[in-house]
Amino acid sequence: MKKTFTIIATFCFVVLFAQTASNLTEFKENIETQKVEAKDALKPYRYDGSKVTYFNFKTYKQTKEVEVYLFNNTDYRFSFNGKSLPNDINVQIYDEDVTITNRILLKEFTGIQGKNVLVETTELNKTYETKKPSGGRLKRVFVSYAIPGIPGAENKQPTMKERGAMVLVMGYKI
Amino acid sequence: MARENFKLSALACIFGLFLVSCGNSEPEDTGLTNIDTTKEDELTEDMFESPDADYTLPSPLQVASIFKKSGLVYHSNITNPTANVSKYTEELKQMLNFGVYSADMAYCVLNEQSNEGRKYLTVITTLAEQIGMEAVFENEDLMNRFDANLENKDSIEILMIDIHVRTETYMDENDMHHLSAVQFAGAWTEGMYLGVYDYEKNKKKENLGAQITEQMSILRNIIKGLKDPKNAGMELGWLITDMENIQNTFDGFESVTAYYADENATELILTEADFKTLGDLVKSLRGKIINE
Repeated sequence: MKKTFTIIATFCFVVLFAQTASNLTEFKENIETQKVEAKDALKPYRYDGSKVTYFNFKTYKQTKEVEVYLFNNTDYRFSFNGKSLPNDINVQIYDEDVTITNRILLKEFTGIQGKNVLVETTELNKTYETKKPSGGRLKRVFVSYAIPGIPGAENKQPTMKERGAMVLVMGYKI
Repeated sequence: MARENFKLSALACIFGLFLVSCGNSEPEDTGLTNIDTTKEDELTEDMFESPDADYTLPSPLQVASIFKKSGLVYHSNITNPTANVSKYTEELKQMLNFGVYSADMAYCVLNEQSNEGRKYLTVITTLAEQIGMEAVFENEDLMNRFDANLENKDSIEILMIDIHVRTETYMDENDMHHLSAVQFAGAWTEGMYLGVYDYEKNKKKENLGAQITEQMSILRNIIKGLKDPKNAGMELGWLITDMENIQNTFDGFESVTAYYADENATELILTEADFKTLGDLVKSLRGKIINE
């Protein structure tokens, strides 16, 4: 009896361990593919860098923020790829970080799940100029991902269904 | 008996792995989910949960491009000599100078000094091998591609972007993202050094001065990246101290405090004395990084 239990337990452990590793490998491979897709969408802007933001959907709302520099009055294009999102999220772009209470919302969009969305800084600068005429040009922006709460999510031990990633690729105008 | 148990368990392991390798990779909602995720959590504790506040760093090519657009001109013999590569025997110096040489290569290429740029590609490849990133340069004859496009600045810039993408991907795939701040610290210091050098030759280049100031905005995040606990074994103390000294000195300039105190200020303009102080600190740090 004890022997049978040992064998079954070992078998389950090995299967699940290998399955997990396989799922995560696939998750990472998909992100690399999405990065290439997002990079291709930048053209004719020149690639500058990328940032993959990983998170797990939980039962409560979360926010992840990425600071992006905008140098030398250069125009930039941001390519957002949401094809590794199991659920939709809300993307907001601000002029300041989350600690500044009166920061200015420059753009907001949803419906990114399964899509690649482009945003250009010419648009953000126009909004900024309208909302803060004395502000000059933006020198950096803060991309904020508002991740909604999902009822029944595994908060401590997320499953693959709860794993998500946003791919952001930046490019600058030549 | 125990031996028999071991054999049966081993067989179960092999069979389990065989099933997975043949099976569908789609996750299934089974009653075993909890067991599954326990292991998953152990495997991925940090890798798949980004910090709440994160940042991006520009590529060395973009930093060089910013300075170039601001009027920076090429000076021969101010980049870090390629012969110095043999001095970098410690991993930290190899990482830092991977960044330094990347900035130097970008500086040469953007200023149409392709033959010089080629020398830097060679030392970057050497350092990549030493820091275990040789895969970035494998399976791609970068040198031949470089040679074939020696007269075509645009193609060489695209090649540099490819190297940058491959480096990023390699670091992502191998959970080495924390090291990008170390490499970038080298690239940033060299970029600032090249900017400061040219600015000192011609202080009328106001736009160049403005770009040096603008590059200071990255420093805080470089320091944050260097302080990543995963970098703890690298003896970065001296580098962090020097970079924090540059940051604190900059923050203490009257022109900087006045800029941040005025909500309507749009441009931060440093005084000549500020530039001198900043330039001296950058030169000192650069000297330590390249083992001058």
